[in-house]
Amino acid sequence: MVRLVAWRALALSLCAALAACQVQLAPAYDKALAEGLSQASADSMTLLASAAGGTSAGTYASRRDEYSQLIGRLEALALAAGARPMPKNKVGDAINRLLEKRGSPALEDDDATPPSAHAIRKVAETFAKMRDTDRKQGVTAFEVEAFKGQVRIYLDQAITYENFLER
Amino acid sequence: MATINIDALVNDMKTAASGVLKQDVSALRGFSERQLKAIAQQTKLVATGIATKQITKETQDFFLDSLEEMALSFVRTLHGLLMVTIEKVWNAVVGVIWGALSKATGLALPEPVLGD
Repeated sequence: MVRLVAWRALALSLCAALAACQVQLAPAYDKALAEGLSQASADSMTLLASAAGGTSAGTYASRRDEYSQLIGRLEALALAAGARPMPKNKVGDAINRLLEKRGSPALEDDDATPPSAHAIRKVAETFAKMRDTDRKQGVTAFEVEAFKGQVRIYLDQAITYENFLER
Repeated sequence: MATINIDALVNDMKTAASGVLKQDVSALRGFSERQLKAIAQQTKLVATGIATKQITKETQDFFLDSLEEMALSFVRTLHGLLMVTIEKVWNAVVGVIWGALSKATGLALPEPVLGD
């Protein structure tokens, strides 16, 4: 019995040591956030599709709530994405120094924020600009296309990063 | 006491690292190509819209400024994705090394910390 306990203790300490070898250089995967992002992406495309032919300021009131709900949800998602602790490590600094040497941006100024939080915030800002323009003068079909292109690029960045964290 | 076979250990580390890299590099390449193509298309769209005045004065500066911000955000995302890949490769390789060490010594050895 004593021998069995000793073996168990040894196995446990070995597991603990091995587990402690593991390092974390990026935030943890958040399933709820990834799912929320996926839903917000679908809602974004729905709003953009409904305005595809262009809009006029006279009909803005019918879209006001849709804008508010979507922008609010995106801002909440950006907040949740940025609230996770971002591991700080010397290797990241070493990579940044290497990037600097090669003339690439080091990105050291924003190490504490995951890139997805930034991208989601940009989606919210894009819809805020679209809403303000819609309210003031309406948006042309071409502008809707440009807003859509921008939203898709930022959403792709955010979704790719969040899904990549599932490791 | 068991001994460590250097060739086998090197091979195990290579297998662990390349398994991660093969999968991740393919994903990173796909993301980069998708983004660069989309940013190029957006640049063309904004230029055409401004030239034909279908993008109004109200949104013109916003779209122009956004092109630069999107490119920066792409680089920032790529950097973040690379950190995840480095983490996965490190953990895979260290897992192999510490597995071999523990097997050979029968001890729970003090672990290394990345970057120290």
